[in-house]
Amino acid sequence: MQRFIARQTVRLVVGVLGAVLVAAAISAAGEAYARNLPGYLSAFSVHLLQFARLDFGVSAVSATPALQELAQNLPLTLILVGMGFGVSLVAGVPFGLLLALRPARKIAAPLIQVITATPVFCSGLALAYIAVHAVHWPVSVNAPVGAIVPPDQFWQITALPVFTVGLAGAAAVQLALRRSTMQSSGESFRTGLKRMGLGLVEIEALYVLPQVVAGLLFGAREIVLTLLSAAVVAEWVFHRTGAADLFVKSVALADWNMAAILLFVFATVTFSVDFVGKVIGHALAPGERV
Amino acid sequence: MTARDTSLSGLILRAVGWFGLGLLALAVFLSDFLAHEPAGATMTGAVLAPPSDLHPFGTDLLGRDVFSETLHGLATTGVNAALAALIAIVLGGLFGAVAARLPRPLAFLLRELWGVLASVPSLLVAILLLGLFGHGYTFLAAGLAAAPLGFVRAFDAVDLKSRHAEYARATGIPATTLLKRDLTYEFRYLLGAVTARALAAVTVVISTASFLGFGATPPARDLGLMIAASKISFFSAWWTAAFPALALVLLVLCARLAAGLDEGEQA
Repeated sequence: MQRFIARQTVRLVVGVLGAVLVAAAISAAGEAYARNLPGYLSAFSVHLLQFARLDFGVSAVSATPALQELAQNLPLTLILVGMGFGVSLVAGVPFGLLLALRPARKIAAPLIQVITATPVFCSGLALAYIAVHAVHWPVSVNAPVGAIVPPDQFWQITALPVFTVGLAGAAAVQLALRRSTMQSSGESFRTGLKRMGLGLVEIEALYVLPQVVAGLLFGAREIVLTLLSAAVVAEWVFHRTGAADLFVKSVALADWNMAAILLFVFATVTFSVDFVGKVIGHALAPGERV
Repeated sequence: MTARDTSLSGLILRAVGWFGLGLLALAVFLSDFLAHEPAGATMTGAVLAPPSDLHPFGTDLLGRDVFSETLHGLATTGVNAALAALIAIVLGGLFGAVAARLPRPLAFLLRELWGVLASVPSLLVAILLLGLFGHGYTFLAAGLAAAPLGFVRAFDAVDLKSRHAEYARATGIPATTLLKRDLTYEFRYLLGAVTARALAAVTVVISTASFLGFGATPPARDLGLMIAASKISFFSAWWTAAFPALALVLLVLCARLAAGLDEGEQA
């Protein structure tokens, strides 16, 4: 266990350091003197030193410190991703368990293939269309950016981006869960434990469940990547002003300091979730392959 | 390298995927011939006319024939996706398969460096690269963005402790000969699946980047840009978004089936 944690910690540290290098390389691109290789290398080293002092520069668009801008926008994205994860668990866990059964999988497989093949922006727009025409909800698709949401419509307007992110995540959750469920269903220890006199519920709760949960945790990286990617699209489609939307705008307006810190944060979130998922997963099922 | 699903249903699904991709490639190749109107032709009929015999997919806000525009958009998306997939395969799959056989410290360093880029959604990497390169390089940005994940997957899939590799080491067969053998047999064997997987991944990245305003620049339009433009009208005229979206989903679905991807698996 200790060796495993040490190995994962090294990977986390190397990953975060790599993300710092990438972020410094991006923010250096914004310097006027970085038009040739020596100039760029000089800008890169300057930005690297600044990052080491936790100075992430100033946003070229708003002229406010990039860190301050990040603090304003990141919570909305994290809430969206967190709520989307909740939806993806609610939708993905029963699906994953159900689809681990062969007959159910045969019936649902075509539907899941079509859902997975649908880009997030298409499913977001489809959800908005259904919300408007079927349940008569207000949607923010064509609303002005930053428009004030009436309090009585808050949950309806918030629900659509959350569902969009959640549906994207649900596919990843069900896959991770289905794979681990199918793997554990074929384990030989089940027969052995039955012969030892353990009941089915005991075997499932004490031996199988930890393996299934560990499988889900080992797939945390894929899930968080899907959720973050979906958050970018959902914020854009539904005009939510979060960090993901800010990233798109920063790149469009060549605000490289802002784009760099946002990319660093997203990479760090992924590395951290991957680290936590693997460590907890390994603690639950030490013998499982990561 | 990982083994392929060789069950009958798996083979049939892959065949269906390749057949669908073949049909779509034919539609792309003949798009100028099949389309009723040239790309971007406005006022070909009434504004926002629903599907009819004259305009099978209806018309959009500027009176453009949605059927013709969808075919032209599919052609733009398809060509860009094919070029991007090529970049992703070479820099991702092939490079990953080769890098895994390099001396361990160098291989580990490469794996971790590419791993950093693979820890950010490829969509964000593509947007960033498009911001740096300019909008004319959609295929390059999408290919480079999809490459890190392909690299990591190909790298991790290499089994250096396979029986033939151990035999080669024990009998003194050089590493380059072993690499040549592996690329000839194993990578070639998986090339179809790797290509289809890359195609599915880059199509989603290209169309999403385009939807967000980072892809094709008008008057050239791809499917993502068409769907973005229909945001204003699709609540009252569903056909302006539905048909381009359907074409896009069909392209991604065929590529996913051809790759033999599991339900829910990311391309």
